[in-house]
Amino acid sequence: MAGTTEALAIPRAVPAAPPRARLSVLRRHRRAIGDAATLVLVLVVLFPFLWLLQMSIRPNDDIFGYDLAFTPTLEHYGVLWRGTFAGSFVNSVVISLSSTALALLFGTPAAYALSRGGFRRRRGIALWILATRMAPPIAFTIPFFLAYRWIGLQDTQIGLIIVYLTFNLALVIWMMQGFFEGVPRALEEAAWIDGCGVWQTFLRVSLPLSAPGLAATAVLCFILSWNDFFFALVLTRTNASTAPVAIVNFIQYTGWEWGRIAAAATLVMLPVVVFSMLVRNYLVKGLTAGGTKE
Amino acid sequence: MLGLAPALIVLAAITIAPAGYLFLTSLTPLNLTMPGTAWDFSGPHYNYLDLWEDERFLRSAWFQAHLSVATVALQLLGGLGAALLLNRDTPIRRFGRSALLVPMVLPPIAVGILWRVMYTVDISPFHRFMAWIGLPVPPLTTDPDFALWAIVLVDSWEWFPFTMLLVLAALQMIPESPIEAARIDGANGWQMFRYVLFPYIAPTLVVCALFRLIDSIKAFPLIYVLTSGGPGDATTVTNYYAFVQAFNFSLWGYASAIATLMVATIFVISWIIDRLGGNSDGRHD
Repeated sequence: MAGTTEALAIPRAVPAAPPRARLSVLRRHRRAIGDAATLVLVLVVLFPFLWLLQMSIRPNDDIFGYDLAFTPTLEHYGVLWRGTFAGSFVNSVVISLSSTALALLFGTPAAYALSRGGFRRRRGIALWILATRMAPPIAFTIPFFLAYRWIGLQDTQIGLIIVYLTFNLALVIWMMQGFFEGVPRALEEAAWIDGCGVWQTFLRVSLPLSAPGLAATAVLCFILSWNDFFFALVLTRTNASTAPVAIVNFIQYTGWEWGRIAAAATLVMLPVVVFSMLVRNYLVKGLTAGGTKE
Repeated sequence: MLGLAPALIVLAAITIAPAGYLFLTSLTPLNLTMPGTAWDFSGPHYNYLDLWEDERFLRSAWFQAHLSVATVALQLLGGLGAALLLNRDTPIRRFGRSALLVPMVLPPIAVGILWRVMYTVDISPFHRFMAWIGLPVPPLTTDPDFALWAIVLVDSWEWFPFTMLLVLAALQMIPESPIEAARIDGANGWQMFRYVLFPYIAPTLVVCALFRLIDSIKAFPLIYVLTSGGPGDATTVTNYYAFVQAFNFSLWGYASAIATLMVATIFVISWIIDRLGGNSDGRHD
């Protein structure tokens, strides 16, 4: 395997019928060439990201400079923290956490029931979940916006928490169902023999055994809610506006103050980058929810 | 079962009910600035008829198709290339596999801002670098010919890791023996890819393409931050057009009709994914 993947890494470096001596030289360096290409690729791809990070700690008089020897400053973060951004940041945290908690509360038992139920129902639900994941947000925002006007949920945290359930609940049901399937039946049967009821078995055996999956699912829900921009833009104004919307708002009111914008964007990005590295092995599963079979 | 009911009731309340409401609204001329338009079903098909005569809508659909096809093609190529490069276990490539996921997980609004910096000529390190080596690049997001391509580039940058991740998973599922056999038969790099690896990862690529095709229909934050649909309407894709119709012009009935049409389109694509998911192997993760 190793040899072929090396060849794939740099296909052009391998001529169709290479002379033996040259091939062996290339083969010796193939790993190093591939590694070097990887580093270059990472640098090129992440350049805009890294550039913004350094902008956020660059003093204002040299904000667009490219000299790496500068004295880092936290002034932009300080300005942000004294303004209204802090409130929006807290809104983001509260709303994302609440929506995640609610989705887990409703979704986990449902996933358990599905994983122990019949196959036909599962298939229907999978389709439903796929459909909610696929539907364009505009299709949800229009009815939610109109309904919230009537019932007074516009610009409230509760309003957004409910909207985020549209994707979080579907995700929880999908992900947790897979994890519950991984719990050996024998353990549950042992619990039944010892006198546990169905839900007691769920709480004492299946749920603890699926704890890592539960954690990964929670992190994914949090990221999805945290990253949302469209719903928050449309359904909030000032009281419940989340951090992404706050950035756009102060761009509109105070113009492109790059230092502040860079700092705000960094604050919005960093938690997500850290969390997603924790759950990177579950990303595929979460992102294709409903579309791929277990 | 008892555990299922609450979740399904909630899910129905927040997905099926709004979908029904959306469809009903699409049959009315609802305009929040004009009272009495809310439940007026006197001409239920008017909005849908208007769509076919609305040149701006048809243009938006064309821009959408352009954006979707270009970005899906680019990110499949990029993701496939990155996956082939990283499909080897060295510490540096393991690091690369994690680091390259960053664009995909960033909040879309942050992606918009990163690239707003890159595209603003007087402050962009990219533009300054190109000018320095004597190849100045004109502003992209304000040029009607380039604006949509500027969005395509960012969207592909953001989402190539998705394809990379899925293709890497698929590459790891390929059994050892056909690769071994091809190597003994003296296959070169290209032959190995074309005749041995590609058939194994083709179904994954199809799934990636469909998923990303669907998501490209929803592109919003990038356009909102980078171009606001302009210059002119050069980047007003269908989703953005619906947003403008509803939230700027208060034409809720009309916007609902556009959204309904989008949902219908997406359902057709989802149905195809579901069929593919049921019939092919090699994508289990």
